Amino acid sequence: MDLELSKEDLAFRDGLREVFLGAVPEDVRRRTALGETTREDIVTSQRILNEHGLAVPHWPQEWGGRGWSPTQSHLYSSELQRAGVPQPLAFNVSMVGPIIAEFGSEEQKRTFLPATANLDIWWSQGFSEPEAGSDLAGLRTTARRDGDQYVLNGQKTWTTLGQYGDWMFVLARTDPDAPRKQQGLSFLLLDLNTPGIERRPIKLIDGSAEVNEFFFDEVRIPAENLVGEENKGWSYAKFLLGNERNGIAQVGTGQRIYADLAAASGAIPTEDGLLGHDPQFRTALHTAKTTLLALEATQLRVTAASENGKASPVSSLLKMEGTQALQELIKLRMRAAGSDGMLTGTGEQVRAGDAASVAATQYLNQRKLSIFGGSNEIQRGVIAKTILGL
Amino acid sequence: MNLELNEDQRLLFETVDQAVGRGYANGGRAGATGTELGWSDQVWQTLGELGLTGLTVSADHDGAGAGPVEVYASLEAMGKHAAAEPLLDGVFLPSWLIAGLGTDDQVKQLLPVLAAGGATIAVAHAEPGRPWGLAPTVTAAADGSLTGVKSPVRGADQADKFLVTAVDDAGETGVYLVEATAEGITRADGRAADWGHTSQVEFVGTPATRLGSAEADAAAALRSAFARARVAVTGEAIGLMETGLAMTVEYLKTRKQFGVPLATFQVLVHRAVDVYARVELARSMALWATAAVEAHDNGGEVDLAATADDAFVFVCDAATAVAEEIIQLHGGIGMTYESEVAHHAARLIAITESFGGVSSARRRAVASESLLRAPSALLNNADAVTA
Repeated sequence: MDLELSKEDLAFRDGLREVFLGAVPEDVRRRTALGETTREDIVTSQRILNEHGLAVPHWPQEWGGRGWSPTQSHLYSSELQRAGVPQPLAFNVSMVGPIIAEFGSEEQKRTFLPATANLDIWWSQGFSEPEAGSDLAGLRTTARRDGDQYVLNGQKTWTTLGQYGDWMFVLARTDPDAPRKQQGLSFLLLDLNTPGIERRPIKLIDGSAEVNEFFFDEVRIPAENLVGEENKGWSYAKFLLGNERNGIAQVGTGQRIYADLAAASGAIPTEDGLLGHDPQFRTALHTAKTTLLALEATQLRVTAASENGKASPVSSLLKMEGTQALQELIKLRMRAAGSDGMLTGTGEQVRAGDAASVAATQYLNQRKLSIFGGSNEIQRGVIAKTILGL
Repeated sequence: MNLELNEDQRLLFETVDQAVGRGYANGGRAGATGTELGWSDQVWQTLGELGLTGLTVSADHDGAGAGPVEVYASLEAMGKHAAAEPLLDGVFLPSWLIAGLGTDDQVKQLLPVLAAGGATIAVAHAEPGRPWGLAPTVTAAADGSLTGVKSPVRGADQADKFLVTAVDDAGETGVYLVEATAEGITRADGRAADWGHTSQVEFVGTPATRLGSAEADAAAALRSAFARARVAVTGEAIGLMETGLAMTVEYLKTRKQFGVPLATFQVLVHRAVDVYARVELARSMALWATAAVEAHDNGGEVDLAATADDAFVFVCDAATAVAEEIIQLHGGIGMTYESEVAHHAARLIAITESFGGVSSARRRAVASESLLRAPSALLNNADAVTA
């Protein structure tokens, strides 16, 4: 066994740190560590990463990918999270980009991939619908073929950051008579400036409006914006699920929050001294510490296994346990802030940029972690079936 | 970076697995602990022949000189069958203590006997009603003779010798070697929750020899040996949990209620998945701690005691949850002495109170200075979080 990075890996890591800590502005990283990343932060950061060849390292090399080893990919995710650098927009780099690169036409690749990597196009995801969440294949939005166009009708929802979207990749039903609901779906690229689209923000529990719903009324999509073959959309969507799962446990994010919280606890007063000396707080912190260690060790086992060409079925486990651990840490941060977390929304007037001021709203906001990306109950179902054979 | 067993270590796991599996084919842990020995003589003989009793003893003293990963592999295999043979308590732990503290003569005299499987030595530190971390109340007189009570002492009824912690006239904690047949010993034999033979042992002016010289740091040697034991026992816990999970999954598939298999009920399936998740994370933790001990032994900068406490606490919390769930998911069957799963659960619970127990380990870990630094599993990547 071996708990050290090789010299080469260390040099690789240092190269990443140079960009993450040296080129990405500090205020961007500070806001990200607090969960307060703005649209501009994401754009700024992704363009800097792209300039350094670090925005889309997992794409095919022809389109900016780096052909990294599993260990290098692991270091990329964990260092990015630890540094508080905003994740490159997942809809661009982890979803539509890889699908276009794999299944798109040459024309689509040339048109979309460079702009997608540089976040010149902000993509939104058009998958979930009011009646099709975890049961995605039950979606009802239709795309009727009419000459050299598709005509889109229906509704999409839970579109994260859809308020910034320039384009949307849409999964829609092109063959309503297909024998199975997974058949007859197609993957279409939609310019969100097309007439017939209504966009409404959904106000969330923390007061933010980071998700949206979209209504489509006779929206016309040029047929050349179909990706791959008609009615094969489900297999492309499934390709995504088996795609890049690096960093899924978000251990780096957890370590970041842990470090900030531990440091802050040395200055937060309690009736008996400082929070950093409070046995109740320290016990909870220790639980977080050991959980992060176990998660990181699990992630390292998966990484090492894929170095040896072995697939590991534990991505569901990492998603489930990683999000839970992060939620526990964020809860601990709220408890540490106490009533200081109960005044927010004062803009620049009071305690701007203070972790305490967003601790409670962030706690509420991050309840989403165990719901999106396949709810943790869906993950349990996957584990039961694929690992336990239940 | 690598957290898996290599081929030889995997082979060691399989060898022990097969040896114990054969010996436990009829009767399992219940059969073994029900004998006068408290374990299976056949399995013990085989383990000795395979060199397992010499695993932790250096080659100079007729052992294999193997490291923490081999200890992990063998104990995971033992745990898989809920084996009761005293490899860890009666051989590995005393071997670490003797190697760490003993004089050259003592090491030469004691280790080869342990390695050959010719004797077990019971380490007696716990005292009734007394926290693990406090100095013992057993006293060592100027002539070395011991007076006081130790309890619980695992495997005391079969031990050839005891290693007893005691305080001398100067108030220093030391470790004392006592022959099991020495005068002034009264044993009250009972059992632990896992049916392992366990005793209260009272010493009254019992002749004893100090282990190591009077100048040697016995407290440090004890800390180190018990830290190794805490890491080692996490390996056994993984084997126990893995089998407990497998038995539970099988039970959910085959046991019918309301005319359908239990696996039809999602509430039970999801609970089994949570058991799986606990086991898998605990396995990562145990492997990580094992690798850290190996790095320590190779000269790396590793805080052995703190690593052991972190891993022990995490794995014991998992062990408790898994023990509770595998009983619950078996329903009434899981409560019976006849069921194998009950013995796995009972042994898991006993592990949580071994070597000072989980509460004591948690108190040390919570008080540790390193708590306020962000954790990092990789040893040379600890400066990970920069503002």
